[in-house]
Amino acid sequence: MTDTLTNTTAPLPADTEAAARAPRTRRRLDGGNGGTNWWLTALIAVCSLTVLIPLYFTIVTALKTPDQLGGTGFELPTSIRWENFADAYQLTNFPRALMNTALITVGAVFLTLLTNSLVAYAIARNMHKKFFKGLYFYFLAAIFVPFPIIMLPVVKETALLGIDTPVGLILLYTVYGLSFNIFIFVAYINSIPVELEEAARLDGASTWTVFWKVIFPLLSPMNATVGILTCVWAWNDFLLPLVVLSDPSAQTLPLAQFIFQGQFNTNYPVAFASYLMALAPLLIVYVIAQKWVVSGVTRGSVK
Amino acid sequence: MQSPSSTRPRHRRVRRATAVLVAAATLAALSGCTAGDDGQVTLNFFQFKPEAVSDFAAIIDDFEAENPGIRVIQNSVPDPDTAIRTLLVKDKVPDVLTLNVNGNYGELARACIFADLGSDPAAETVNPAVQDIVQSLGTCGADGAAEVNALPFASNASGILYNPDIFAANGVEVPTTWTELVAAADTFQANGVSPFFCTVKDSWTAVPAFVNLGGTLMPDGFFDTLREESTSGAGTVSFAEDFADAADKEVTLFDYCQDNFASRDYNAGNKAFADGESAMYLQGSYAIPAIRANNPDAAIGSFPYPVTDDADARVVVSGVDVGIMVGRNTPHAAEAQKFVDYLMSPDVVSAYSEAQSTFSPLKDAEPNNDPALAGLEPYFTAGTIIGFIDHQIPAAVPLVNLLQTLVITGDTETFLADLDSEWDKVAARTTTQRQGK
Amino acid sequence: MTATATRAKTPAASPGTPARVRSSIARTPRTFYWMVVPAVVIFFGLHTIPVLSGMFFSLTNYAGYGTWDLVGFSNYINLFQDDRVLNSYGFTFGFAIVSTLLVNVIALAIALGLNSKIKFQAAFRGVFFIPYVLAILIIGYVFNYLFANSFPAIFTALGLPGLSSNLLASPDFAWVGIVITTVWQAAAFNVILYLAGLQTISADLYEAAAIDGASGWRRFRSITFPLIGAYFTINMVLSFKSFLQVFDQIVALTAGGPGTSTESIALVIFRGGFQGGEYGYQMANAVVYLFVIIIVSFLQLRILQRREASFS
Repeated sequence: MTDTLTNTTAPLPADTEAAARAPRTRRRLDGGNGGTNWWLTALIAVCSLTVLIPLYFTIVTALKTPDQLGGTGFELPTSIRWENFADAYQLTNFPRALMNTALITVGAVFLTLLTNSLVAYAIARNMHKKFFKGLYFYFLAAIFVPFPIIMLPVVKETALLGIDTPVGLILLYTVYGLSFNIFIFVAYINSIPVELEEAARLDGASTWTVFWKVIFPLLSPMNATVGILTCVWAWNDFLLPLVVLSDPSAQTLPLAQFIFQGQFNTNYPVAFASYLMALAPLLIVYVIAQKWVVSGVTRGSVK
Repeated sequence: MQSPSSTRPRHRRVRRATAVLVAAATLAALSGCTAGDDGQVTLNFFQFKPEAVSDFAAIIDDFEAENPGIRVIQNSVPDPDTAIRTLLVKDKVPDVLTLNVNGNYGELARACIFADLGSDPAAETVNPAVQDIVQSLGTCGADGAAEVNALPFASNASGILYNPDIFAANGVEVPTTWTELVAAADTFQANGVSPFFCTVKDSWTAVPAFVNLGGTLMPDGFFDTLREESTSGAGTVSFAEDFADAADKEVTLFDYCQDNFASRDYNAGNKAFADGESAMYLQGSYAIPAIRANNPDAAIGSFPYPVTDDADARVVVSGVDVGIMVGRNTPHAAEAQKFVDYLMSPDVVSAYSEAQSTFSPLKDAEPNNDPALAGLEPYFTAGTIIGFIDHQIPAAVPLVNLLQTLVITGDTETFLADLDSEWDKVAARTTTQRQGK
Repeated sequence: MTATATRAKTPAASPGTPARVRSSIARTPRTFYWMVVPAVVIFFGLHTIPVLSGMFFSLTNYAGYGTWDLVGFSNYINLFQDDRVLNSYGFTFGFAIVSTLLVNVIALAIALGLNSKIKFQAAFRGVFFIPYVLAILIIGYVFNYLFANSFPAIFTALGLPGLSSNLLASPDFAWVGIVITTVWQAAAFNVILYLAGLQTISADLYEAAAIDGASGWRRFRSITFPLIGAYFTINMVLSFKSFLQVFDQIVALTAGGPGTSTESIALVIFRGGFQGGEYGYQMANAVVYLFVIIIVSFLQLRILQRREASFS
């Protein structure tokens, strides 16, 4: 801890050098060669190991046979057992769980982006009206409601309405995400000048058209942020699908992992292979879209 | 489902996008369940045991072959405790269920969730000693006209598992009294053999020993008296008074555990015992399949807990590992009945008990010839069995957690005091609830 | 907000606006209502009604199934006499405070490192964000295995038998294992947010500071930190709020044990209310929990905003 704390001062000298050379640069993330702080690079590299080592551990464990486990577990496998993945694939009914999870996640992201931004737009542009201001705080207050308090009534309600299904989950993620999403969407929309909309209105565009043609495209950085947050949430969520989904064939990936937690023999390599398969899709998406994801979240919060 | 209609006034693109979404979702939902309109009845079968999925799948295949008009869908879910309660909240009680017949089952039975199976001919075939254990947990309609809400499908027995090879190598006989048990443990320890492999990382693994010790040592009718007194306020019985001996003996046993016993979990224990790492294992019949999964040729024997120095006082703690229930309001009562009868048929029951190392709860069942169960089988057949006392303790009392703390710290006084206070608190809450009625 | 309000009013107030536009503006409010009303209705149905019915059931003896009766406030009275519930508040707060501080300090430190002149900046940023996309439940399973098997083996090999037991099996230190897992996963997101904050700071400021000969620590204290104060506030409030609701990682790591030493509030509610058949009683707990979260969050906001103000 102390190490990390004192080190926070280290970057500054290098920064100032760079700044002195190019006083106009706002961003100092250009990674130029001159003035690279190698000492700090090494330190960051060491820190990044804390992230990578558990991942490495998961991967090597997933490749072993049960009798190779022993020891610290960080040893490379002496012989690789790919069947672990095949076993996990069968045990968890992987393709079905993957399909369910993907469907729920994609649905939740799309519906969230389409609806939440619209609501935020209406609120942001009418904040001077009591009704809309009240709504803003009404939605916002829900951020603080702990899940257990609504859990059982929601289970009952979704069953009554016949939406104890993936479609219902999509709706729930969209509705429960509203609180936080409105908070960040409204802040962002406030920074968009009203003049843009007025120009469109003068051309006779309706409010709907103004939103879809003018505002929605401008929201893309925020849409990226909200999309990523929703995606990660819906993909990894455990409790809501556990209690809401009635049909066992609608099981999602996190639920499928539960099979390895029963009070019976656990084959750890197979379990780890399964964990890896559950984590992998999002991880792969992230690695491919990494630059975009990080900048999406960053831009979103910079406003 | 309000979302598609609510989007109608919005732009067409939203509507189209939503429509596509909903269509895709519905398609996927449909492809998931095969609802046929061909006059077939589909039974929803809630099956709580993840390790028995393939056993039941085979049973269902045979049943469907015999009854072409009935389809049975096995619903094996993660976390069955939560799942069954959410199903109740949803008013979607399955047509046929299996559950572990424990305290939770008792609560559900008292809430009249399950149908009365008393008139089912299959009920006649059940060993009365086993059915008594089921009935003692609670039934719909409470006193007098007691219903039969569950039929026992498989019974387990809790005792001490031991490794006959290690016993022979150390010249130790199977202990029949408490003194002999402690002496045996001392001998093993002196010879550098771990007497018990304990797995307290999984808190529940401290319970089996306690139910044997406490169940044998507690005064008759302890829980009935305790329940009566918690409403009347008198205090002639308490855990502190009547379970002190059991708690002491529990601590004594766990003193013989291997190092780091609090760090090891049940899976590790099954593997260790399968590999001959300890002479004994404080688990019941239900652990045998898991041990064999690690080592099919594992040397396993069993004997009942010698709790006192009276060898004749030994009993076996037995519970109904799998009970079968029918949803009270199932629209397919006749078909459900058919399936239950099939499940309870002697062949199916005995095939299952062989596969899962359980005891058949049927009257005229062949004894289970598994050598690993040989030490417990006579007690079960003779009906010298008692129920699991933890099933008498409401789920709101964290018995499992308190026991875990007890065997780690060895502090019996705190354990007993905590148990009494937790019981009283829960009883007080239940009393206020009764007053509300 | 005030800015928006004035801006939105401007067109209507300006003289000489063509009639066509005027009519479109008169129509506007209705469209805006159409935009929010469906959302309000669904939100009310799927969130507010459940909240209200949860609150209502806290006044009953409902078990989650079967029949129920009103019992007044007796659930609340019993709640304050239940030391298991009180202990869970103690544990949850301790856990949330330690985790919030650690996550924010570590995330800020990493963000500062990533924001400076280092090699492979983009790659490192990518690596530090990975834990965010991983499910905490599954991470918990992996760490559970690490704590049970790998770490003891490593410490034994290093000749430190004192550390060779499973951290999660110790009633006194199991919470440390939960904090480690939580911080590992949660720091990622805060790193990104701090990084975002740091990028809003103009390099000119540091230049000026360098001319004044300010030391590294002084520059952090008087330039960097005040300028990302808003991020600090938001991160502290949001992480504290989410750590107060800790659930998944406890299920995966200790299940509340050993004993009841790591039972969080959410776990007690879940166990007692959904598995233990005391739904009404645990809803009383949940209502108290809701108010605790609200009060704590508001206090935190006020205190941190005051700090922010005094910085600038």
